[in-house]
Amino acid sequence: MRESEIVDMISRKLSPYILLFALYLISYGHLSPGGGFQGGVVLASGVILLCLARGEGFVKRKLPPKALSLVETGMFFIFILMGLAGLLIGGYFLENFFLPGKIEKVPTESFIFFLNLVIGLKVGAGITLICFYILKQEET
Amino acid sequence: MMAFYLIISLFLLGIWGIVSKDNLIKKIISLNIFNSSLVVLFIYIGSRTGSTAPIMEKNIKNVVDPLPQALMLTSIVISICIMALALSLAMKVYKKHGTLSISRIENKLNKDE
Amino acid sequence: MRKIAEILIILLLGFFLIAEGDLLKPLPPAELKNYFVEKGVKQTGAINLVSSIYLTYRAFDTLGETIVLLLAVSGVIMLFEARK
Repeated sequence: MRESEIVDMISRKLSPYILLFALYLISYGHLSPGGGFQGGVVLASGVILLCLARGEGFVKRKLPPKALSLVETGMFFIFILMGLAGLLIGGYFLENFFLPGKIEKVPTESFIFFLNLVIGLKVGAGITLICFYILKQEET
Repeated sequence: MMAFYLIISLFLLGIWGIVSKDNLIKKIISLNIFNSSLVVLFIYIGSRTGSTAPIMEKNIKNVVDPLPQALMLTSIVISICIMALALSLAMKVYKKHGTLSISRIENKLNKDE
Repeated sequence: MRKIAEILIILLLGFFLIAEGDLLKPLPPAELKNYFVEKGVKQTGAINLVSSIYLTYRAFDTLGETIVLLLAVSGVIMLFEARK
């Protein structure tokens, strides 16, 4: 399923900038509008643009679906581990334990920054997997 | 007040589309309109208490209520999941019956019995 | 005939929604908004108030929503890869 040359050329030039914008939205989530969910969806749409222009066999060689499924379930477990770390230190589940009362020398916003990264990767991998499986049926 | 009437008319258009259209994909698009109208309703009610976006830079007072916006983020992602599963089910129906029109599928199933 | 009945029922539903009038009344004073605006930046360290709400004060809803995403992805895979 290969599209015409104009679509192919423009999507190859445009897609790295879309991925860079998605990384900006995820990592500046605590200072400007954006965050984990918004950046994750833009990340998935950058990959889908390549998939629509070149056929999905090309993208599947660079990003195999088994690795994407491993990223998605791994990020879910890291989220739960961050919650349990709050229980171990002595507070409640999913507590912000970088406050000046409990752990010093680490800035307070690193909790939100880390959770934004985890959620951004999870949402991006999940929506890309959905689109891989829906677009596969076109060959039959 | 005009915004409130427009939001209710989007809600009713969504329900009418699900009930009275014949094609399966048009029913799914009406489900999406229906979900989005509720998100707009919550954000509109939350925006009546202030005037700027809730990002606390220096010397900004009178911000909008940030709580409905945080709840609607989750709701938008859930509506994406609903649409993904509904479209996958529509693809399976098309593969089995060869058509996407509900009245024709009904006639076929009633004739086979 | 069926189309006229559908349109009439939808208009009746709309009439009941408007006549209730619960959304046009003036809002009560916003106490939670004052709490978030005064203490949100100091307790979480983030300037974006919406991010600080759904990642510290209400992080459990975000956990439930990641579970919903996991279920949706596994539902789509199950529909398209069913082996005999």
